[in-house]
Amino acid sequence: MMDVFDADFCVLGAGAGGAVVAAELAEGGARVVVLEQGPRHDPDGFTARPPEMLGRLYRDACQTATVGAPPILLPLGRGLGGTTLVNSGTCFRTPPHVLERWAAEFGLEIDEATLAPCFERVERALSVAEVTPELAGANAAVALRGAERLGWSHGYLRRNARGCVGSGVCVFGCPTSAKQHTGITYIPRAAAAGARIVTGADVQEILVEGGRARGVSARLAGGRRLDVRAPEVVVACGTIHTPLLLARSGLEDPSGQRGRNLALHPATSAFALMDEEVDMARGVPQSAYVDEFASEGFMFEGAAGPPAYAAMVLPLTGARHTRAMADYRRLAQFGLMVSDESRGRVRAVAGRPLIRYDLGARDLSKFRAGLARMEELFLAAGAREVYLPLPAGVRPERARVRDLKLMAFHPLGTARADARGTHGVTDGDLALHVAAGVHVADGSVVPSALGVNPQLTIMALATRLAFHLLGSSVPDGSPPAPAATARGDDRPDRKESACPS
Amino acid sequence: MSRPLDSFLAAAPWPQRLGMSVLLALVRRPRGAALLARAPLAEQAAFSTLALGRYDDPEIGRALGWDAGAVVARGRELRRSEGRP
Repeated sequence: MMDVFDADFCVLGAGAGGAVVAAELAEGGARVVVLEQGPRHDPDGFTARPPEMLGRLYRDACQTATVGAPPILLPLGRGLGGTTLVNSGTCFRTPPHVLERWAAEFGLEIDEATLAPCFERVERALSVAEVTPELAGANAAVALRGAERLGWSHGYLRRNARGCVGSGVCVFGCPTSAKQHTGITYIPRAAAAGARIVTGADVQEILVEGGRARGVSARLAGGRRLDVRAPEVVVACGTIHTPLLLARSGLEDPSGQRGRNLALHPATSAFALMDEEVDMARGVPQSAYVDEFASEGFMFEGAAGPPAYAAMVLPLTGARHTRAMADYRRLAQFGLMVSDESRGRVRAVAGRPLIRYDLGARDLSKFRAGLARMEELFLAAGAREVYLPLPAGVRPERARVRDLKLMAFHPLGTARADARGTHGVTDGDLALHVAAGVHVADGSVVPSALGVNPQLTIMALATRLAFHLLGSSVPDGSPPAPAATARGDDRPDRKESACPS
Repeated sequence: MSRPLDSFLAAAPWPQRLGMSVLLALVRRPRGAALLARAPLAEQAAFSTLALGRYDDPEIGRALGWDAGAVVARGRELRRSEGRP
């Protein structure tokens, strides 16, 4: 049995890129269908209990990992909102030096002035604002005190949150709906403007005839087939899955770059035992940063969570772990993120992504330096003990690749934009070089590591793409105000469906 | 094992599920744990997973100053009273 929808644009994915493109296109008057593989997550089901939420909100129950040295855990969100549903909400604009590199190395005409109205529009839509010291909590205060004493550059982060009360579980589903993820911001706007949002849609292939997009074929829960006939397709399945979809759609790749150039921003964290009560889960977990060493390729950002989370990431085992957890209320944690030069590759094996990534020598050096600085930071803050993510007896300067316990949150680059078709998968307007009418709007187009959290960059690029497709410039005025009650599926003219009729 | 941890493990793709079940079986036995100690990353993965389940226990959480139920209740109340999504 097959359903067929007709649309001007079919958007694949409802995360940072897809949701933004869908809302802007729909509000611009286009007929839009959004296909999202995951479900809509009802915040009434958020329990603030990590194991349960990891299993429900994350792709592969948060057990996606790279193959290589070392293996790296790669948490990815799944559902309306994509990874914005489970990220920490940190918002950075693309650093100017990165845009300059894109122009010089990849021929991209995307400068600060071009992106400024896009950033402003996204920031207004998501209520982006700096975290207040009160909301940042004692965990941030520890790291900032250390930075202050050492004279290191630091500050409070900007986040997409409204009415946040510091529940401490951003990455396990915000129970107050304070985090303005795209599932409660852009998707309701898209639906209100007439877009049809289909959840539980597993996209099989992009249909291309005569070098031009004709639509998309998807499979719904229960095996029913859905075809969307559309002359324009926007792929936003995320950096890991977008290149796999392009490949299984039979699209050529003369650049040889599809699936390659994977940057991750590999990260780790350290803990410290303090004299004072920290209660790390009280406040915004990622509320502050230390960027003194950004020019050396690494920076520190807040990390924290409830006991189950802390117990999972605390880099100890056995009795030492038990002793440290008994002092959970006095534990502080902070994260180290590396702007990587290593590059990995994604390809499909038996229908699943195989992600190969080996940490190179230069990035290992950044981790060595970063861990040494992290220890210095905590000691300056008055830590009694510092727990580095290294095997017992291994000092940072002697750490080997296999000693590192890494996670990564920012996969980028597997369908990288490059003005030249011989060097990139997409062009400067984020259109596929090899097929008319196929565009990409997720982290896969970002051609290099950013050194900062990428969600705002992805959303700004998606905004730019949407207005390019509409043939108009990005307006200076405010987008529609965030609607406190908008859900996208709670009105009589409900547009979201898991099984369209 | 706790039910949330069971569901967490069950939701993983089969290669990870299989790998983790082997690691957990090893880490729970003295000889297995000794074997795992030679592979620090694998040992940490197994230990972290067990710890995730153990410290998810609401009683243990409350003893450490964390009450997930209260956090959720406050969230529901805020969403209801302020008309949040």
